[in-house]
Amino acid sequence: MDFRLTEEQELLIQSLEELLQREAPESLMAEFDEKKEFPTGPWQALADNGILSLGIPEEYGGTPADIMTLTLVCETLGKHAFTLGIIYALGVITIRDILQFGSEEMKQRVLTGLMNGDPPVALGITEPQAGSDAAALKTRAEIDGDTVVFNGQKMFCTLAGLSKDILLLTRDPEGANPYESISMWLLPTDTPGIRFNKMDKVGWWSIPSYEVYIENARAPKNILVGEMNKGWPQLMANFEIERLALCAASVGAAEAAFEDAVTYANQRSQFGVTIGSFQAVQHMITDMAVKNENMRNFIYKIAWMMDCGMPVRHEHAMCKLYVARASFEVIDTAMQVLGGLGYTTDHRVQRLWRDIRLMRIGGGTDEIMYNIAGPQLLKKARRAA
Amino acid sequence: MNIVVCVKLTPDPSDIEVKSDGSISLERAEWSIGNFDLQAVEAAVRLAEAAAAAGEESKVIALSAGPEAIDQSKLKKDLLSRGPDELVMVVDDALRGADTAATAAVLAQAVRKLGPVDLVLCGEGSADLYFQQVGLQLGERLCLPTLNAISKIERDGEVLVVERDLEDEVEVLEVPLPAVLSVTTGINPPRLPTMKEILKAGKKPVRRLSLAELELSGEIAPQVQVISTRAPEQRDRKQIMLSGSPEEAAQKLVEQLSREGII
Repeated sequence: MDFRLTEEQELLIQSLEELLQREAPESLMAEFDEKKEFPTGPWQALADNGILSLGIPEEYGGTPADIMTLTLVCETLGKHAFTLGIIYALGVITIRDILQFGSEEMKQRVLTGLMNGDPPVALGITEPQAGSDAAALKTRAEIDGDTVVFNGQKMFCTLAGLSKDILLLTRDPEGANPYESISMWLLPTDTPGIRFNKMDKVGWWSIPSYEVYIENARAPKNILVGEMNKGWPQLMANFEIERLALCAASVGAAEAAFEDAVTYANQRSQFGVTIGSFQAVQHMITDMAVKNENMRNFIYKIAWMMDCGMPVRHEHAMCKLYVARASFEVIDTAMQVLGGLGYTTDHRVQRLWRDIRLMRIGGGTDEIMYNIAGPQLLKKARRAA
Repeated sequence: MNIVVCVKLTPDPSDIEVKSDGSISLERAEWSIGNFDLQAVEAAVRLAEAAAAAGEESKVIALSAGPEAIDQSKLKKDLLSRGPDELVMVVDDALRGADTAATAAVLAQAVRKLGPVDLVLCGEGSADLYFQQVGLQLGERLCLPTLNAISKIERDGEVLVVERDLEDEVEVLEVPLPAVLSVTTGINPPRLPTMKEILKAGKKPVRRLSLAELELSGEIAPQVQVISTRAPEQRDRKQIMLSGSPEEAAQKLVEQLSREGII
């Protein structure tokens, strides 16, 4: 087993780290968070330096990259600027869906825009009555000649108010089987009839989420992505890589919190000695390091499996479940090591703590990850028996 | 326009370990591109890009000399991903710890071997020893117009118009080509390689030359003997807090500094 990165991966990460130090220092990212602003400048810097072109085929002006490399990029972004890691990870699924199922015109327009620094295409799945039960969505698309008319409401549609398009999922109410009645559309956000209402959240302040109200929004019929009523399997095709990307960014955030904690433990003096000399603190530091190591190994293994073309159906759900919890635990422990300082808004640990909590909910809740992994594990055991 | 940019590959200064006796250990240090040389690489690549945009054929050759340790695949890719078209390395363990005179002699002979060159660029100084001598000695050996402290370079037909940073003024000079220039760190920020450039770097030509191929007998005898290198003694901070009004605090500071024998 060879755990070494390739020289090219090492050089890319070295270059990215330097880029983030120059263009996305902690002070700047903290400012964006405080002002609840999308980090336009740092995001543009990623575009200008080819990071947003990774994984996009050369024929569209991109640079091919394997899943391991994309995972390393997400982890590095997560460590130095978690917000950028999340935004990047959110783009991964929509890019893949458009690449795999979109028309040539969509690929040229959307991929070029993304590589030039557009915010990622928003993903419009969740509705007031359709959260974990995503297939219960009700937004409708009615064909009218050469056009299609949309009506419905989306929730937690992250970046929708900033993106040029929403990758919108609609449901044919006539279809008996919901999984065979869902279609996917690339709906421009400036289509008349669409309204956005920004939602206040505990974290992710630089990554706004919206309620999207769609009333008689009419668009050309050719915005269909892939085939009518095949939206569900199309969506599922790339959920695994999105979850891996979110996990990688989370591991980066946990690594950042760990570094803050050990630095503080070596400096902070109480009772005449540094707090790192107390066993209680050493145990916390060691537990954090073990979790980080486990999380890193898990995401790298999933990336490797995906690059080898191996199925990761239950593995990716186990990984998402573990990383969402362990990264929160690591950051929470970092806050404990930092004490009162970690709870102040002056320190990045509080921001990581607020931001990481969503990982147990977004991209599939912990409970849904159990629902995916559990039956698969039992099925595997039955087959082996 | 053919540009040669000289680059020193050194143990990464951030990996220096100071031992308990104050001696310096570089045993665990990774090798890296001298951080003062990256600006020279960038300046060379920008001039070549401008020449190419004007329809002129142009090429940037990175040139480095050092011991066997510099011939590392990752290091070479790192350098070439910054924009040079090819890399020429003079590799010989006799160059370990070479002083500025020896380095300049080796680089000068290598430049002569490369054929017609319009411009040779160097960084401000090396990342490890920072003598700031090699560029000047190299120019002298090549008998070419030679300038250091260059903070701006612009092409004007067959000459370069350069700005040279002095203590209180900036000289603007016209330099005929070919020439040897050492650039400041402020000349331009070095670009960060993209994955595309990193992947391309592995396919760019690399030429390895030995000292014997340079036919340089006797010229690299050291002119400087390093007796020892030691880190300055570290002392714990005294952590004295001065309180009171600004006037009182200033008075206390003066008293404290006098007591310590500093003023």
